[in-house]
Amino acid sequence: MIRPILAALVALTPALPAVAQDLITRNRVGPEDAEKSLSFRLTAFDLYSSDPATREGFEALFTDFIEAHPGWRIDTQLSTGNIGQEQARLLQQTQAGRGPDCAMIDSSQIALFRDTGVLQPMNAVFDAAAVDDLFPYVRDAVIDAEGNVLAWWWFTDLRVLYRDTRLVPEAPQTWEEAQAAGLAAAGQGSEGFLFNGGRWEGTAFDWLANFWAQGGRLVDDAGAPVFAEGDNRARMLIALEYVKGLVDSGAAPSRVTAITDYDAFNAAAAAGSAAMFVGGNWQYGQLRQTLPPEDFAAWEVSELPGPTADQRATGAGGWSIGALSDDPEKIEMCALIARDIYAGAGNALQGLLPTSAGIYDDYDVYAGPEYDLFAAALENGRARPGAAIYPEISNQIQIMLGDVLSGSATPEEALDAAATAVQAAYDRR
Amino acid sequence: MTGRAGDALTYMGAALVAVFFAAPFVWLLSLSLRTPAEVYLGASRLIPEAPTWGNFATILRDPAFAIYLWNGVKLAASGAALAVVLAVPAGYACSRIDFRAKPAVMLGILAVQMVSPLVILIPLYAWIDRIGLLDTDLAVIAVYGAIGLPLSVWLLKASFDAIPIEIEEVAAIDGASRAQILTRITLPLAAPGLASAFILTMIMNWSQFLVPFILLESDANWPISVAIFNFAGSTSASTTQILAAACIVAVIPAVAVFVALQRIIVSALIDGAVKG
Amino acid sequence: MRRASPTPGDAPALPWLMPALAMLALFYAVPVLDVLRLAFSDATLIRPATEVSTRAVAAVLSNPALPQVLGTTALFTLASVIALQGVGLAIALLIVRGERRGLRGMTALRTLVLAAWVVPGIANGLIWQILFSEAPYGGLNSLLGSVGLGPVAWLSDPQMALVSAVIANTWQGAAFSMIVFYAALRAIDPVIYEAAEVDGARAFTVLTRITLPLLRGAVLVNSVLVTVQTLNTFDAILALTGGGPGRATEVLALFTFNTVFYNLDLAGGSALAILLFALAMALALVLWVTLGRRDMRA
Repeated sequence: MIRPILAALVALTPALPAVAQDLITRNRVGPEDAEKSLSFRLTAFDLYSSDPATREGFEALFTDFIEAHPGWRIDTQLSTGNIGQEQARLLQQTQAGRGPDCAMIDSSQIALFRDTGVLQPMNAVFDAAAVDDLFPYVRDAVIDAEGNVLAWWWFTDLRVLYRDTRLVPEAPQTWEEAQAAGLAAAGQGSEGFLFNGGRWEGTAFDWLANFWAQGGRLVDDAGAPVFAEGDNRARMLIALEYVKGLVDSGAAPSRVTAITDYDAFNAAAAAGSAAMFVGGNWQYGQLRQTLPPEDFAAWEVSELPGPTADQRATGAGGWSIGALSDDPEKIEMCALIARDIYAGAGNALQGLLPTSAGIYDDYDVYAGPEYDLFAAALENGRARPGAAIYPEISNQIQIMLGDVLSGSATPEEALDAAATAVQAAYDRR
Repeated sequence: MTGRAGDALTYMGAALVAVFFAAPFVWLLSLSLRTPAEVYLGASRLIPEAPTWGNFATILRDPAFAIYLWNGVKLAASGAALAVVLAVPAGYACSRIDFRAKPAVMLGILAVQMVSPLVILIPLYAWIDRIGLLDTDLAVIAVYGAIGLPLSVWLLKASFDAIPIEIEEVAAIDGASRAQILTRITLPLAAPGLASAFILTMIMNWSQFLVPFILLESDANWPISVAIFNFAGSTSASTTQILAAACIVAVIPAVAVFVALQRIIVSALIDGAVKG
Repeated sequence: MRRASPTPGDAPALPWLMPALAMLALFYAVPVLDVLRLAFSDATLIRPATEVSTRAVAAVLSNPALPQVLGTTALFTLASVIALQGVGLAIALLIVRGERRGLRGMTALRTLVLAAWVVPGIANGLIWQILFSEAPYGGLNSLLGSVGLGPVAWLSDPQMALVSAVIANTWQGAAFSMIVFYAALRAIDPVIYEAAEVDGARAFTVLTRITLPLLRGAVLVNSVLVTVQTLNTFDAILALTGGGPGRATEVLALFTFNTVFYNLDLAGGSALAILLFALAMALALVLWVTLGRRDMRA
């Protein structure tokens, strides 16, 4: 029953275009009989992307790379999009001695892998000058106390305020201005101001900019949670009151507690229902692709508003590459992949934001005015804290925001509950 | 209430059910026919302005996709067959033989299904590594066999229970052994039960993500339930339309097996009725 | 307990059970027992167990969020089990009646319901985000709006979010009950219905007096299996709300998922898994005793 169907499917399949057939297959880059091999776990975002342009670009980069390193073969392993389960699997495999030699690691997880002691320093490839050129928050995340380069964070991203200038002509600089602009837009039948408020990582990370802008800290130098103590407690409550005020006043719709996806903002922009939203820098290109040119021209980006015009912050994420093998040759290959394929050329190919200021000048794609804004805003970029407790802090912040925005708890109650839960989890480590 | 009025009511009920179950597919189809530019319109547009079959072509042209589908069918069907074969004697014993520990055995077998697969995942990885079966089809099939057992035992017991004991007693008087009675008389009568147990365990295996994800390391061994993630996501370009197409195509093999096996449930009964 | 076989006794059962028990022992028993060991340890995903302790169990039981999570689990499980079985039985009855009358389209209907079950989990997120979207252009709300109803706060309202989760779960899972009930209905001897027809019984009477009593065994088995499955379900909720807003839709299985994969707390997750296990076992026993009182051979 099934075989004939599959056979029919296969028969329908025309021959593949003969592009780099010999060098790149589904599970390897380089000649099959190469004497040295490196296993590399990567996401399906680049070399194996379903998007033809992205895939072809990376095939070219990988081909150049492997030709420059004769005798080598890269055995590729795909990781799935399930970050939580993927991380658990990678940890288990590494501990069982079956992990890859080199792996793509979400920037928020560098601290976790550092704490498990599996990341091998890449000092041989990245010298002091390369490290100095990194944005400060990137440098802090990838360098350990001894100055070793534990991973290479090869692209970053950030959150900015998008606005439809037909409804919000001037970029709001402060929270107060943002609420006023949202209310004014809502008065004209728009949904007003949209942001992530559902139960997912994006909600916590986007909102934390409001806490960081006031100088708040989530954890102390030892990695212990301090976000609900002393001044930090007051900052948390102020930041909570700000978003609660947006929803209570009607500047933001109550449906924000159900938004668990940045794509929802693209849809709202396309439907013309939103006046402003807190989105990722990558959405600029998506809007250009989606909106009719005359509508796209009306959308502009600006730095996230702060409590005052000179108190600003924005969350910055992205992906890194880390070496897990203890063979020096393999560590070097891994670092070279990060440097020669991904950082720089790989950034430019996908329009992703480089982590080194210098790279912006090397490629024409970064000439657009939006990149000037992104680069400027990155000066206030904040990474997730390099503490293993962060995922639980984020989880509790998501719950706190959901409860406050849906009116199920007051800010104080919700903050106390979050603090207790995080502390209990921290004490169990 | 026979005749036309009843038929009309049946159709109305069927229409309601069809709308509820079809609506989500309509949206999935809508996504799968979009160009990247239209994907971000999300819910704001149902019928694409520039529909394209290109996403399906991309999926079908990818030789790996057929391999993933085949891996999925192979693992799910083998695992289900293993579970059903092992469950036949156990289900028969639970239905036909009186033994004191029966409630304990039946609940004990069911208990396997009650342990959260999320947590078992980590010890399971270590255990399969210890017995040297990581990254083999055998490991996945064996674990599917174990996971599918409770369901199969319970369903087969219920379907053996529904077969009148008198039929077996006649055969026993004629001198047939219990094994002969089971294979010659009871099993053919229980064919609908066997078919539904196989269908249910196979389809549960088909949707399994965690077990193959943790036990199979190489992409070439992955079933579609794991490999479908390859079609998800990209940092700069939308691949949602391709993912949606992949999801639709991935439904087909499981549905085909179901349609084929449902005939057994129906035809076995018709045969039984004629003989009876 | 009535004598159910020509050769009763304890001894003959073991050889019949051996293949199944051996399979479970070889491939599943060790990991299952390991969960027990881990619950009484300090293991995390990063670090193997170093001590035997009851701290994880104590921490789980004293977690202030636990009562809310258990309440949500109870509501979600009860509503889902009723909806899954009700919808599954209704569809099975429809199809069996349709087939008996030779109506067209019954295979297509059955296949459609099944297709919902086999859609890869990742599609859930794509589909339901669109349908339940509360934007002015959201799928269901536009539909309701066109007949003058709504809008409904499908996912942003804490109570409604749980209802939406049950709806999505029913869409995905009803096929299981449908297949079980369909096979059971087809196994009923048509002669019984012919006799009822001759006696002039009304359809409703036939359903309550003949069909449902004959389905008793199938209902029992299905209730137990569906309850156990529902308790372990979390992917539909994860795709829909992630457990939010707040903790409004966070069921025990999702709570366990978060404990293991967010918090990396393997010991705590194992303790929760045992709690989940105890709940499932207790519910299975209750169902067995109440539904299976009469007429079951167990």
